[in-house]
Amino acid sequence: MNTYLIPLRRAAGIAGCSLVALSVTAPFANSAHATGVLAGTLIENTATATYQSGSTTGSVTSNKVTVKVDELLDVAVATLSTAPATANSEPAVLIYAVTNSGNGPEAFNLAADPKISGNGFDGTIKSVVLDSNSNGVYDPGVDTVLTAGSLATPVLSPDKSVKVFVLVDLPAGASDAQTSQVRLTATSQTGSGTPGTSFAGKGEGGGDAVVGLTTASANSLAALIASLANITLTKSATILDPFGTAKPVPGAVVTYSLAAKVTGSGTLDGLHVVDTIPDGTTYVPGSLKLDASVLTDGADGDAGVGGSSGIDVTLGKITGGTTRTVAFSVKIN
Amino acid sequence: MKLSFLVKSLAGAAAMVAMTGPALAAAQSAPSPVSLKGDVMLEKTVTENGVSKVQLVEPKVVIPGDHLLFTTRYHNDGAQAVTNFVVTNPLPPAVALSSEAAPGTEVSVDGGKTWGQLGSLKVAATEGGERAATAGDVTHVRWTIPSIAPGAAGEVQYHGIVR
Repeated sequence: MNTYLIPLRRAAGIAGCSLVALSVTAPFANSAHATGVLAGTLIENTATATYQSGSTTGSVTSNKVTVKVDELLDVAVATLSTAPATANSEPAVLIYAVTNSGNGPEAFNLAADPKISGNGFDGTIKSVVLDSNSNGVYDPGVDTVLTAGSLATPVLSPDKSVKVFVLVDLPAGASDAQTSQVRLTATSQTGSGTPGTSFAGKGEGGGDAVVGLTTASANSLAALIASLANITLTKSATILDPFGTAKPVPGAVVTYSLAAKVTGSGTLDGLHVVDTIPDGTTYVPGSLKLDASVLTDGADGDAGVGGSSGIDVTLGKITGGTTRTVAFSVKIN
Repeated sequence: MKLSFLVKSLAGAAAMVAMTGPALAAAQSAPSPVSLKGDVMLEKTVTENGVSKVQLVEPKVVIPGDHLLFTTRYHNDGAQAVTNFVVTNPLPPAVALSSEAAPGTEVSVDGGKTWGQLGSLKVAATEGGERAATAGDVTHVRWTIPSIAPGAAGEVQYHGIVR
C-alpha cells in the first residue's frame, strides 16, 4: 500500500523524457527478501502535479494504477554433508537443505534417487525424514518420517528452508570402502518447467504462478561410503607328546589356536569364538587363553569359559585391522 | 523559499486527500485545468532472429525482476497556459528505479526531502558514513514542465524493476 503522497516539487526538466537505458538491476535496498517482493504484493502508482494557472496555484492527482506481483516458483537444494556418510549395518544419513527461493509460500515434492552413474553400488532408500526440530541432526523417533508416496516438504515461506535426511541402506553385495551417491530432487507442487511457464490463478493471493530461472525444480547429490568388516577364523594345532616330540599318541597334548582376524574399515560386534572338544580327547583345565592372557574356566568375570563341553570366548566389538587369538589345549585319551 | 512554500501547499493537499476524500472532490468541482492519467506497461524483451527488442505489453503477469514502464499523461483542458507544472511520482515500495533517470528528471533518495540528479545524491551507508546513492535508493522521481499551452498534452515516464 503505497499511499503516502509525498510532495516537494521544483523546476528543471524535460517533459516526455522517457527512454531510460534498461540495464542496472537495482539492489533490493528495501526488500527483506533476497527473492524479491512477496507474491500478492500490490504495486500502486500515483502521480501528483502542481501548477500555476494565471494567478492561482493548483494540484491534481492521477488515477492510481495497480499491478499485483505474481508468485515466482523457485527452489534450491544443497547437500549439507561435507564428507561421505557412513553406511554399515545402520543406514547412512544424508543431509540436504531445501530452500524456497521463490516469493510465495510453497511446498515441494521430494524424490530420492539412489541410481547415479558412477556409483560403486546403488543404495536402498530406507526413508526420507524432515528435520522436525531443526537441529540438523537425525533424531530417530523425533524427526518426521515422510510417508512413501507422499514425500514433500511442508509449505515453506519465501527464503525459508527445511533440512531433509535421506536414510540409505547398503544393498547386499556392497563391499567395504565402496562409495555411492544419492540425488535428492525438490519440485514445486504448484508446477515446474521452462522458466516463464505460468499457471493461471495458482499463485499466492489469487495471482498467477510463474516458473523462475531454477525451473522450480532443483537437486543435489550427497555421497555415502560403505564401512564393512569381514572376519576370517584360522585354526591351527601343535602337538606335544610325552616324549617331547610331536606325535598324536595317547597322553599327547594338542594345543589349538584360533586366530580371529577382522579386516575392513568397519567394526564387528557381538563376536564369540566357540569350539568343541574333539572326540577322544579331554580338555586340559586352565589352558584357555585369549592372546597372552590366561582365562579361568568358570563363567566369571573374564571373557572365556572352558570345559568338557567346549570353549566359548567373548570378543565383543572388534574394529577392522585387529586380530584376536584364542588358544586351548586337550589331551589325547 | 519558493521550494518550502510548495512543500507546504502540497503537504496540505496530501492531507486533504487522505482524510477528506469527498470534501476534496467537492472542492475540486471547480475542475482542475489539467488532467493526469496514469498507466503501467510491462517491458518484455523479445529476441527475434538474434535481435533483442523491448515490447510493451499489458502487465497481466508480473514477477520480481520484471521491468515496468510507468507513464503519466497530462492534458491542459483549460483556456489558459499552465506554468511551472511539476509532476511528482513516489515510487511504489516494491519498485526500484531501473537505472539513472533520463536527463532532466530529478530524483529523491530521502522520501522527497531533497532532490537532484542521482549521481549527486548520497545515502547513509549501513557501515556508517555515506555512500553514493544508486538507482535502487530512489524514493521519488519528478519532472518539471515550464509551460503547457491550452489544449496541449504530453507525458512523463519512468522505468522500474519489480524488487
